[in-house]
Amino acid sequence: MSDVVAQKTEEQEPEVDLSIADAIIDKYIDIPGNLMPVLQAAQDEYGYIPRTVADHIAERLNVYPSQIYGVLTFYAQFHLKPRGKFIIRVCVGTACHVQGAPRIVETFFDKLGIGHAETTPDLRFTFEKVACLGACGMAPLAMVNDSTYGAMTVQKVDDIVADYQQRPLK
Amino acid sequence: MVNLTIDDKQVTAPKTATIYEAAKMNGVNIPILCHDKKLKPFGACRMCLVEVEQMKGRQIPACTTPVTEGMIIRTSTPDIVKARKMVLELLLLNHPLDCPVCDKAGDCDLQNLTYEYKVDTNRFVDEKFHHEIDYNNPLIERDMNRCVLCGKCARICDEIVSFGALTFIDRGIETKIGCEFEDGLNCEFCGSCISVCPVGSLLARPFKFKARFWSLTKQKSVCGYCGTGCNLTLGVKDNKVLTTLYDENQGFHKGQLCVRGRFGYQFINSDKRLTSPLVRRNGRLIEASWEEALEVVAARLKGGNSVAALGSSRLTNEELTLFKKLMLENVGSSNFDHSAGYAHSALTSGFARSFGTTASPASILDIQKTDLLFVIKTDSYETHPVIGFEINMAVKNRGIKLNIISDKRGKLSKLPGANTFVHKPGSEVSVLNAIAKSILDDKLAVGSVDSVQGYAELAEALKAYTPEAVSALCGLTAEDIKKIAREYASADKALILFPIGQGYVSHNQEMSCAVANLSILTGKLGKEGCGVLCMSEKNNSQGAVDMGFFPRADGMNAQQILDACKNGSVKTLFVAGENPIVSYPDKSKVTTALEAVEFLIVSELFMTETAAMADVVLPACSFAEKDGTFTSTDRRVQYVSPSIRKNSNCKTDFEIFSALISKLGGQTPVSSSLLFSEISSNTDGYAGMTHVSLRKESAFASVNVKPKLIVPKASAAVSSEPGKLAMVTGSALYHSGTLSQFGEGPMHVCPEAYVEMSRKDAANLKIHDKDIVTVSSPTGSLKLNVKVTARIPEGLVFVPYHFSAAPVNAIWDGAPVTMVSLTK
Repeated sequence: MSDVVAQKTEEQEPEVDLSIADAIIDKYIDIPGNLMPVLQAAQDEYGYIPRTVADHIAERLNVYPSQIYGVLTFYAQFHLKPRGKFIIRVCVGTACHVQGAPRIVETFFDKLGIGHAETTPDLRFTFEKVACLGACGMAPLAMVNDSTYGAMTVQKVDDIVADYQQRPLK
Repeated sequence: MVNLTIDDKQVTAPKTATIYEAAKMNGVNIPILCHDKKLKPFGACRMCLVEVEQMKGRQIPACTTPVTEGMIIRTSTPDIVKARKMVLELLLLNHPLDCPVCDKAGDCDLQNLTYEYKVDTNRFVDEKFHHEIDYNNPLIERDMNRCVLCGKCARICDEIVSFGALTFIDRGIETKIGCEFEDGLNCEFCGSCISVCPVGSLLARPFKFKARFWSLTKQKSVCGYCGTGCNLTLGVKDNKVLTTLYDENQGFHKGQLCVRGRFGYQFINSDKRLTSPLVRRNGRLIEASWEEALEVVAARLKGGNSVAALGSSRLTNEELTLFKKLMLENVGSSNFDHSAGYAHSALTSGFARSFGTTASPASILDIQKTDLLFVIKTDSYETHPVIGFEINMAVKNRGIKLNIISDKRGKLSKLPGANTFVHKPGSEVSVLNAIAKSILDDKLAVGSVDSVQGYAELAEALKAYTPEAVSALCGLTAEDIKKIAREYASADKALILFPIGQGYVSHNQEMSCAVANLSILTGKLGKEGCGVLCMSEKNNSQGAVDMGFFPRADGMNAQQILDACKNGSVKTLFVAGENPIVSYPDKSKVTTALEAVEFLIVSELFMTETAAMADVVLPACSFAEKDGTFTSTDRRVQYVSPSIRKNSNCKTDFEIFSALISKLGGQTPVSSSLLFSEISSNTDGYAGMTHVSLRKESAFASVNVKPKLIVPKASAAVSSEPGKLAMVTGSALYHSGTLSQFGEGPMHVCPEAYVEMSRKDAANLKIHDKDIVTVSSPTGSLKLNVKVTARIPEGLVFVPYHFSAAPVNAIWDGAPVTMVSLTK
């Protein structure tokens, strides 16, 4: 908990535009059980759920802020910190592990300078280890957003990072 | 009823019971951790596993399984005992065994069950948790390392308190209880979560390391703050009240308390308490003996009509009766009053005219039995939080409809399905009259209503209050008003609630008549779940009215007494337990009056602003040090016995008045019990009550209603002034009167007065939350902290009245609405 508190004081949340959240809420406001779709749409729009958005949703939907936080921390699909444009996922399931996934992971860590579930300061990359991507035949496997990279090697890590470094952020 | 067998015993239970409840009713105790009878079944802890033969011997949770006909249940087979032991082993795997320094030890469900099931070894090994302990607030300590995730705290905060401060966070082994974004707790601090925590995860910080649970003497008492009449269990050691303890079987509220009741007890043993009589000599208050002080007082009381008295509605019924006797029979003056003279007018002058009685024709228990709750002012929650819990439960669990008319939104507005109609401040009576008019126009009144006395006059007077006409001045639409009327009239059962008190000037006799009219017109009276509940401010406000401690035709009321002090016709003023300088409107008027009066006698617990001006100060006793009866807002008469011995140099007000009566040559009562017998035979509805019977069980004084329709006079609409905001005053959630300033708990979380304003006004005036602003009115100005909230409508500001340090009466002269300007 201590590092969470520390981070909170370090990172000032950027100004967020609540009118986007309002538009989402207006769409769902009269539907019972609207919390999940609202949070999902907000996540899509903002890329994560900023605190101000969570508080705003709480006020407008008349849901306890704590309840929203409970939902946000329960589901892996929600994120409380800004995420990179490119989400790199490396499978560390059994088949990939046997085929050398730990070295792939380590190489990404070295290349990107970030660890698991972290995001580069320029918001380009977010790195995640995942348990299984369901394509064991392609082990070791990595994904960047929706693109799949099978039979990963350390060299390929360099190529992927270099490739995505060049793509525009906006 | 269904028949079933529990542990080879043939028993019956209601159809709706769970196995756990059926067993409990029949004397079989099934262990539980996550179950609480006040909460919905949850089934998280697996301690209550039982075997049901029909379910092929499977182990099922007793707390969530309903009984069915012919069930054969076994609650403690060797297999079950083994399973429960394992549950405990698993819990103890992560739960630290720091019982020697845990305040919960001795009262801990986990500790008791571990002992009962002899879990002396553990087959598993795991790390303990390393959560940081939440010390961020002064009242509730949260140590998630000890948590067993029963969820009772989160559930009670949702289901009963309806605040939702706590919830389950994260998932799997990392699950913990916490607040949004890992914040510290910032809630109402009612401590309900502490009361239900089965382990030492949630603890009362003021009680930390004060005493072991088993060394406390448990003293039953009645809360000394608001008029709800909650029952308390005080934890006493070495003649000191150290904490309040939870007893789920106590009172109608099942042990639920608010922040004042649970954390506001410190005034009892405060070292600021007065311990010696003081007599003013050469301009200074000097310690004196009781004999000396009483002699001086008695001499001054021989002044007949030039003597006046202001009593506190926190005194017992016996004390108020004796005070009245002293004034009427021995002093020979009928100038006595309480609560600033107007805070009781809804009862003494309003209901007296409308219902022919000075009490509410409804009780708190009606809240759960009605179909529609019609609440006037969202402040009903703040003034009476435990009644607020009842409203929460009624709306959330029973789906009872809630309509509110109020000058601001509030906690109650957030309840599911609650309709809050926000009207302009000060227009309550007009709105109520328009509702009555709408009831008549739409033929929603009961058929026999034209035979009720006063019908013709009312129908005539209401012609001026068409919803359309009132709509223009109150800010509600005519359709809103008609809708409220329709819903109220068409509900089978409907109950009206409104708070009264020194902060609610507009809740006066006119408003209570207007409210009474609605219930009479629609026949919502004299039936279960119907009626009007006027929520009186202090713990014995209703008692003070019942005892007749207010002026009769030949006496002066509190305001007239103050005027008379100023002009010299009252020469001696006896103030018992009131602090008019802080709590009465118009501070400068009160101060001038108290300075002008020749002789001021004050009996008090503390050196209040009023006591500091006195010529004689008499140290009195708190509710925890005396015996007597208190009458709650719904006329439940409750007996309190002393929880601790009083300081030997203090006297109860009963003793003080007795001594003075005997000094003035009167006949003093032998005991408060004997005086109460006299009270019960003289007071309407109290017949048959004695201290002995009330000691066993509290009793309701019956209310005999003779309905009559009265024409309520609406006060003139407040005209808005450009650049100014309309200020209303009232109660803050954490406080009650001025007494709670001496309770450390309330002062920890709400230490000072503030001005609450809308976001829009704040933006217009470029004022931010937590700024300090000067609030100026025609009578003065005051520096206050700003709270910017969503609940306040544009154009309104709210300032609570309890605080000596920033007394709202410096800028408030008793008008329902005061126009003020805010400057940074």
